[in-house]
Amino acid sequence: MSITIAKRTDSLKTGVGPLHFAQRVSSFKSLLPLFPFFAFVAYFLLFPLTFIVRDAFLDNDGKFTFSNFEECFKGVYGHSFFVSIQLSLISAAIGAVAGALIASAIVKTGTKSRRAIAATASVLANTGGVPLAFMFLAGFGSEGLVTKALKFLGWDLYAGSFTLFSATGIVLVYSFFQIPLMVLIYSPALENVKPEWREASDSLGGTKTTYFLRVTVPLLFPAFLSTSLLLFANSFSAYATARAMTSGTLPLMPLLIGNLVDGNVIANQQHLGHAMAVCMVGVSIIVMSIYVLVLRFSKVKR
Amino acid sequence: MKQRLNFSNYIVLLAASAFFIFPMVAAFEFSLRINEGKSYGFANYRWVFAEDGFATNLGVSFRLALLTAICVLVLMVPTIVYLHLGGARWKRLVEFVCLVPLVVPVISFALGVGTAFPTFLQSTVYELSFLYVIVSLPYTYRALDVGLSSIPLLTLVEASRASGASMRQTLMYVIIPTIRTAVNGAIFLAVALSLGEFTLAVLLHWDTFPTWIANVSQGHILNAIALSVLSLFGAWIVVMIFALAPKSLRSNKIQEATK
Amino acid sequence: MISENRVSVELKGLRKVYGTAVALDNFSLDIAPGELVALLGPSGCGKTTALRILAGLDTDHEGQILIDGKDIASVPANKRNMGMVFQAYSLFPTMTVLENVAYGLRVRRVDREKRNKKAQELLDLVGLGEMGARLGHQLSGGQQQRVALARALAIQPNVLLLDEPLSALDAQVRTQLRDEIKRIQIEVGTTTLFVTHDQEEAMAIADRVGVMRHGVLEQCAPPQEVYLNPATVKVAKFVGAMNLMPVEILSSSSVSIYGQSVALREGGSVPGTMALVRPEQLSLTLAKTQGRASATVFNLTFLGPLTRISVRMTGDARTLFVSMPSSAALEFVAGSLVDLRVLATSVLLDA
Repeated sequence: MSITIAKRTDSLKTGVGPLHFAQRVSSFKSLLPLFPFFAFVAYFLLFPLTFIVRDAFLDNDGKFTFSNFEECFKGVYGHSFFVSIQLSLISAAIGAVAGALIASAIVKTGTKSRRAIAATASVLANTGGVPLAFMFLAGFGSEGLVTKALKFLGWDLYAGSFTLFSATGIVLVYSFFQIPLMVLIYSPALENVKPEWREASDSLGGTKTTYFLRVTVPLLFPAFLSTSLLLFANSFSAYATARAMTSGTLPLMPLLIGNLVDGNVIANQQHLGHAMAVCMVGVSIIVMSIYVLVLRFSKVKR
Repeated sequence: MKQRLNFSNYIVLLAASAFFIFPMVAAFEFSLRINEGKSYGFANYRWVFAEDGFATNLGVSFRLALLTAICVLVLMVPTIVYLHLGGARWKRLVEFVCLVPLVVPVISFALGVGTAFPTFLQSTVYELSFLYVIVSLPYTYRALDVGLSSIPLLTLVEASRASGASMRQTLMYVIIPTIRTAVNGAIFLAVALSLGEFTLAVLLHWDTFPTWIANVSQGHILNAIALSVLSLFGAWIVVMIFALAPKSLRSNKIQEATK
Repeated sequence: MISENRVSVELKGLRKVYGTAVALDNFSLDIAPGELVALLGPSGCGKTTALRILAGLDTDHEGQILIDGKDIASVPANKRNMGMVFQAYSLFPTMTVLENVAYGLRVRRVDREKRNKKAQELLDLVGLGEMGARLGHQLSGGQQQRVALARALAIQPNVLLLDEPLSALDAQVRTQLRDEIKRIQIEVGTTTLFVTHDQEEAMAIADRVGVMRHGVLEQCAPPQEVYLNPATVKVAKFVGAMNLMPVEILSSSSVSIYGQSVALREGGSVPGTMALVRPEQLSLTLAKTQGRASATVFNLTFLGPLTRISVRMTGDARTLFVSMPSSAALEFVAGSLVDLRVLATSVLLDA
């Protein structure tokens, strides 16, 4: 400590250079308590990430190559980008809209029931994998309870090309955790909208529509958008549920990666899996950047 | 705060309830089927409890959850407290780092871990706990950050320091009790994640409760459905106890005290 | 209850810089054992910085801090054994009042029975003996600050540090608690540093008042001295109300104010053009003839025992304030023609 003090006094007398140094010393010192955190994250997050990137550029003999990435965009792998992104967009959109509607109804209820709903939503948002698949098979499968009930009422779910294992089916299943996630994360933002503002708007002669467009939308847009983004990332990376539902029939990126590195289906394709994994990170980063841009633009406009 | 719900609100809530309840009821109905669907009973549940894998794998998952919770407590609480005290200039960096897991799909992450980690780490199932800490970073960070923002942290810390407490004593006696709700929330998130996580466990070839359910489903479908119902219902009960517990346990008084 | 360890405090040449802003410059202050010194100044004048440096909560400063002659600059805050009371909201919200007071002893590993007994004694001292089982937020603001005081005293501190402890309270509670703090401080005899921006508070509570401006200690003296003989123009202007009156320089030691000659005091700005005169150092009489120092009463403000009269000078239309006992002010009404007299025997000059 005494060293820093000495440096700082010096610098005040002698000019800019040493002050810079002293500032750097003290800023380094202020970083020390964060060392455990950064060390942990570096080892358990950044270190593995560098390995995926490294392996994505290696061939089976350990030589540098771009061929994994070329392979990524061909055939079923190239197609999987399209399917995964499209499915995630639709799932995020449905989850966001339905979740926002539900949240705006829930926000009007009492504190206690809101807490119970939030707790329930946190459980539902975490369902996935085999348990979720079974629930939907039991409910919406060809022999499922809901299917039978609907048929009795005159609506045959399976009259068309619908199966639970198609993209539409997957979107339906994902909704089971996407909607609760939206409710869970979007509700706090809704609770920040004060009833007084509605009264203020009314007293100033605003209509219901102007209130919605001028107050509610600008206020909630960032929260809505960021939660939608979270939903996108959530369905984009969902592996357990997709695996339990489709057993590989639908070309989703996580499933293909899983098969490449884990299954015995195709031998020696580990590095292609890594390249796909890097691409997935890339897609996420692009989506995140679009989000940041949109947010900035919406702020400028206001 | 309670307001009147209008007609469309009721429609929305009704439709949502139907969407969530029907699959659960259907799964429950399936899980009760015995004798190839000819009659109902709890035989599928009894089978589950009798299996060796049930206790073993549930035990593994619980131990993972415990270690994850400890790591979150030891690593994240001091870090975020420091960001709110002297280290404010690093807040944005840490916040950014904590959001990184959101853009890294778990499957990509699992791949990297598989190749990067040395064997001594890969030889124990507890490596999963460290990874769960990473995956839960965005959520635990947020919970703790919000909790710390709602109290006059600096004054409390200085009062404690002036009373002669070390930083460790201040954390244990003052800060953690004061933000107990937030700490509980963060730990709860991490525990829920540990108990339900599938992707990392299966790709790193470990047997945990979720992977065991997946195994059971190969060949024992009704038993697996019974298990699914059990796990969902169990989680829901625990969460509801937390959420609706009497005030003293949730320590809402803190918010009142610091208004 | 008398504290066994009455210590002296010496702060020598303290200097603290935040970025480019100098919060404290060449700050030196001696506090005698058992003395209560109040640091007085507007927000941002460095008074809190001085207190926090003494507490060890602000580090990286220049200068020495001596307790009984020993330099404690390198001792961390939690080893300095100083009791501190903050502005507000410093009670630990999860602990009862008794646990709060016992906290300092708990971290010193004093056993439960002993520390609770001590805490109860202190609660009795601050008049909250019955409140031990409550939680902080169940008490009023004034009660909370009493608990904070008890907590600070529980560790038998070397020095008691009070950082604007009354400023978040209602006016009535403030005066009451102020007198109580003074009583308790005399009772326990702990050397005390009290920081406030409220003049009346500082004057009422302190053995000596240190007036601060822009990180500099302008004067540190007993309250009467600060008020009656301000050492510098800044002190004179900050403490109490002051009239600025134009002067003619007569010699190096005297000036003329509206034709009245008055002695000059050391410490003012020389050569100055204005004399600093307090409202009660002026007097009014109903005018018989129009003299040179004649004025017109403009407004009267009744303040209970005193009345403040604003007058406009006939010559230069300058507005001055005169304060006098309300009984003496009865003969004046708005519009009265008056003669003004300067009662001060010596004045400070301002530029």
